[in-house]
Amino acid sequence: MAGIRIDSITKSYGGLTVLKGFSLDIADGEFVVLVGPSGCGKSTMLKILAGLEEASSGTISIGDRNVTDLAPGDRDIAMVFQNYALYPHLSVRRNMGFGLKMRGTDAGEIDRRVADAAKILGIDHLLDRRPRALSGGQRQRVALGRAIVREPQAFLMDEPLSNLDAKLRVHTRAEISALHKRLRVTTIYVTHDQTEAMTMADRIVIMKDGVIQQIASPEVMFRKPANLFVAGFIGSPGMNFLKAKAQASGGGATAKLFGHDVVLPVANADALAGKEIVVGLRPEHIAAGPGQISFTVTPRLIESLGSEQYVYVDLPEEHRRETVSAGEDEARRSALIARLINPEPGPPGETLTLSFDPARLHVFDAASGEAIR
Amino acid sequence: MKRKATRNALLYAGVVLTCAILVFPIYWLIVTALSEPSQLRQLPPSFWPAEPRWGVFGQIIAERPILLWLGNSALAAIGAVAISMVVSVLAGYSLSRFKLRGGQSLGLFILTAKMLPATLLVIPLFGIFRSLELIGSLWSIILAHATLIIPFTTWMLKGYFDTIPRELEQAAMVDGCSPLGAMVRVILPISAPGLAATALYGFVLSWSDYAYARTFLTNAQGNWTANLGITTMKGEYISNWSDISAASILVALPILAIYLVLERYLVGGLTAGAEK
Amino acid sequence: MPRSAFLDLARPSRRHWLGYLLLAPAVLLIALIIVYPLFVSVDLSFQNVNIARLDQPRRPFTTANYERLFASEEFWNACWVTFKLVTIVSFFCFLLGLGTALLVNNRFKGQTLARLLVALPWAIPEVIAVVIFAWLFDSSFGLMNWLFIRLGLVDQTTNWFSSPEAAFAVVCTVMVWKGYPFVSIMMLAGLQSIPEDFYNAAKVDGARAWQRLLHITIPSLMPVIGVTLVLVMLWVFRDFSIIYVLTGGGPLKATQSLSIMTYEQAFGFFKMGYASAIGVITLIVCVIASRLMIARAPDNI
Repeated sequence: MAGIRIDSITKSYGGLTVLKGFSLDIADGEFVVLVGPSGCGKSTMLKILAGLEEASSGTISIGDRNVTDLAPGDRDIAMVFQNYALYPHLSVRRNMGFGLKMRGTDAGEIDRRVADAAKILGIDHLLDRRPRALSGGQRQRVALGRAIVREPQAFLMDEPLSNLDAKLRVHTRAEISALHKRLRVTTIYVTHDQTEAMTMADRIVIMKDGVIQQIASPEVMFRKPANLFVAGFIGSPGMNFLKAKAQASGGGATAKLFGHDVVLPVANADALAGKEIVVGLRPEHIAAGPGQISFTVTPRLIESLGSEQYVYVDLPEEHRRETVSAGEDEARRSALIARLINPEPGPPGETLTLSFDPARLHVFDAASGEAIR
Repeated sequence: MKRKATRNALLYAGVVLTCAILVFPIYWLIVTALSEPSQLRQLPPSFWPAEPRWGVFGQIIAERPILLWLGNSALAAIGAVAISMVVSVLAGYSLSRFKLRGGQSLGLFILTAKMLPATLLVIPLFGIFRSLELIGSLWSIILAHATLIIPFTTWMLKGYFDTIPRELEQAAMVDGCSPLGAMVRVILPISAPGLAATALYGFVLSWSDYAYARTFLTNAQGNWTANLGITTMKGEYISNWSDISAASILVALPILAIYLVLERYLVGGLTAGAEK
Repeated sequence: MPRSAFLDLARPSRRHWLGYLLLAPAVLLIALIIVYPLFVSVDLSFQNVNIARLDQPRRPFTTANYERLFASEEFWNACWVTFKLVTIVSFFCFLLGLGTALLVNNRFKGQTLARLLVALPWAIPEVIAVVIFAWLFDSSFGLMNWLFIRLGLVDQTTNWFSSPEAAFAVVCTVMVWKGYPFVSIMMLAGLQSIPEDFYNAAKVDGARAWQRLLHITIPSLMPVIGVTLVLVMLWVFRDFSIIYVLTGGGPLKATQSLSIMTYEQAFGFFKMGYASAIGVITLIVCVIASRLMIARAPDNI
C-alpha cells in the first residue's frame, strides 16, 4: 500500500483540453472520490492514473516510484470497470486469478488467494461459473474480487455501481466502504453521483471541465462549498440560489430577500457593499412556520415522500438569475424548493409560511461564482 | 379473428410460393443430376426422376478429376484465407483500437479496394506473375484471391472488434498483460466466432472465383479449380447436363454448408456476458 | 517484472507504435498485390503493349489507347450494355430483395426456414448458377422452352443464346437470381433494427399497414437502401463470371459489358495496353461510386 502523488497532469486531444493541471496528493489508505458531471475529465484522470492513457504533461508517483510512463501492469494497481470487463471466456475463478497468473504467482498461492477473496465477497459458490451465468450484482462482486485478489498498492474504481439497480447500489455502496475499512487499501473512486461521493469518501475531489473545483471532506464540501458549482452539485435537492444585491449597513452586510433586509453571514462586509451576489439556501434549511426570517408563499407543487415533503415555490422575479451554469436544471432558475421534515399535512393551493435562519445562508460573487465568507 | 386467419393463410401462401419459385432452380439442379440423361430429353419433363440414380456422384468422381479440382479449390482457398486472416486480424485490430494518423485513410483505401473490378487487376497481375513464373501455379490464385479477401476480412474484423468493449483489454493490461498479450489472451479467444465467420466468408470468396483461375490456370490442367473444371465440362460439344449438374452440386456443397453455419454463428455473440 | 524501457510497448507513450506495427503486414501486402498492380495497370494503359511483360523496358508514352477507345463503337456499345444491365438488374434485385425481406420479416411458424430458403441463391457460386440457368434455358430440352410453349408465350422452341434480346434477358435473369439475396439479407438486417415501438405508436395513431410501410419502414431503411443500392450496382458493373461463362459477351456483343470487353481485349486479342485503358475507365467509375457510398454509409459496412 502506498500514497499517490499526482502532479500537474494535463491531457489534450488535438485542440481539446480535457484535464487542466490536475494535482492531488492521496495519503496511504485514503478513500478519494473524483466526482463531477459527465465530461469533466474524471474518468480520463483515472485512466491516466492506470496507465491506460498517456498524459500530455505532468507526473504521477505511486509510493516513491515515478509511474508516469509505466505500463499499467507494472504499476501494481487494480481497477474495477463500469461494465466490470470480466473475461467472458474464463470462469470466475480464472477471472480472479488472471492477474496473479500474469505475474507468475504459483498455482497453489493463486487458489488460496482466490478462495480467500471469494469468501470475503460471498461468491465462493460461483467460482466455476462463466460471467454470463451471473446476475449483475454477482458480476460486480467478481470484478471487486478480481481487484482484491491482487493485493495491489491501490484500487481504481470507475463508476462501479452505475449498472446496478437502485436498491443493490445502496447495499453495495456500504459493502465497498466496509471492504475499504477492512483492507485499508488506497482507493480512487470515480462517480457522477454526489450521494456516492458523500457517503463513501474520506475526501472528495469535485471537477468541472477538466479543472478541480474543490478538494475537501464530505462534511466541509457540504458546509463550505468553494463556489456556486460545488454548492449546486453537492446535496439533493440542490441548493436554492437567489440573485440579490448586497448593501452595507452598520458594520455588516445585508441583502433584501423576500422583502426583508437579511444580514449576510460574511466576515468582510465592506468589500461586499453594492455588489451583485447570489445567495444560496439549502432546501433542508427552510422550515415550515414562522422563524427568524419568515415569508409567505403559495406552493406551486408539493411532493410528499411520507417522512418529508418537497415544496416547490415560484421564485420572485427579482431573485431569478439570468442564466444557470451548464449541467444545471433550467427549471431550478425560477423555483425555490423547501424540504420539510415530518410536515403537517396541509391542503395544496393554500398559502404557507416558511422561514430560515440567516446564519445558514451561503454567499457567492455573482460574477465569479466564488464563495464569499 | 377471422381477418387474422385470412391474413395468415395469405402470408403462408405467399411465403411458400415465393420460396418455391426462388429455390426451384436449385431443386431442378438436383433433379437433373439424379435423372438418366435419356430422361432429360423427354417432354413433358418429369419433376422427380422415376429412379433417382444416387450413384451418379460416385460415378463422376470416378470418371472425372472432380476430386482433384475440389482439392485445388480447397488448397487455394485455405492458402488465401490463411494469408488474409493473419494480415487482417492484425490490421483490423489496429484500425479498431488505435487512432493512428493515416489509419483512417488506410481504412478508406481498403474499403475502396473492395470495389475494384477483377478484370482490371487481372491484367497487371498476369504481367507480374509471368515475371515471377507463377502462371499455372496455385500460388498465383492464392495471391490474387488475397486481393479479393483482405479488404473484406479487414473490415469485417474491424467491425467485430469494435463490438468488444475496450475495457476487456484494459483490464487485461492492468492485470499485467502487454497490449499484444491482451489481444492474444483475451480478445482473440472471445472473437473466435467472429474469426470463424470471417474466415468462412473469405473461403466463400475464394471458392467462388472464376476470373483469376480462368486467366492464370487454364493451361495447367493439374491445377484447375472446381469452377474452372465445371466450365470446361459445360464447354464440351455434347453437354451431359446430368453429369455437369452432379459435379455442380459437389462444388456448391461446401458453400451451402458454410451458408448454413454462418447464419447461426453471426448472430450469437460470446461477449454477451462481459457487460452489464 | 521490469521490461526494457525502450521496447516496452505497454508504456502509455509507446502504445501507438504497436498500432503501426500491427498495420504493417497489411500495408505491405496491399501495396504489393493491390497498389502496385494498379500503378502497373495505369502505366500499361499509356503504352502500346500487347502482352504485359514487366521484365522488358517500358514502351514510349502514348495516349493512343484512349483515343482509339473513345473512337471505338464497340466501347460505346459496351457502355450502353453495362448501363442497361446495371439499371435493369439492380431494379429487379431490389424489387425481389425488398419484397422477400418484408415477407419473411413477418412472424410465422417456419420463419427461420423461410429466411434460409429465401436467401439460398447467395450460397450458389456464380459459375454453378450459370450452369443451372444454361440448362433451364437450353435450346432443345430446357425447361423454360417447354414452359413458355405450354403457357402459349411462344409457339416453337427458342434458341435463347442466339438472339441478342433473349440472351440479354437470360443474363439479367441469372444476375437477378444471384444478386437479390444480398439485398434481401441487408434489408432484413435493416428491418430488424427498426424499433417495434415505432410500429406500435403508429398502430395507436391508426396508421394502416401500407401507411406504416410508407412512413416508417421505408424511411428507416433509407440509409441501408442507399448503401445496398451502390453495392449491387457495383457488383453488376464489375461482374465477369456470369456473362463470360453464360454467353461470352455474345451474340453480336449484345451482352458484352465493359468487364467482358476488358477481358476479351486483354486475353482474347492480347491487347493489354488497350484493355488497361478500359480497365482504368471502369476503375474511375468504381472509385467515384464507392466514394459516394462511403460518404453516406451509416456505419462501417
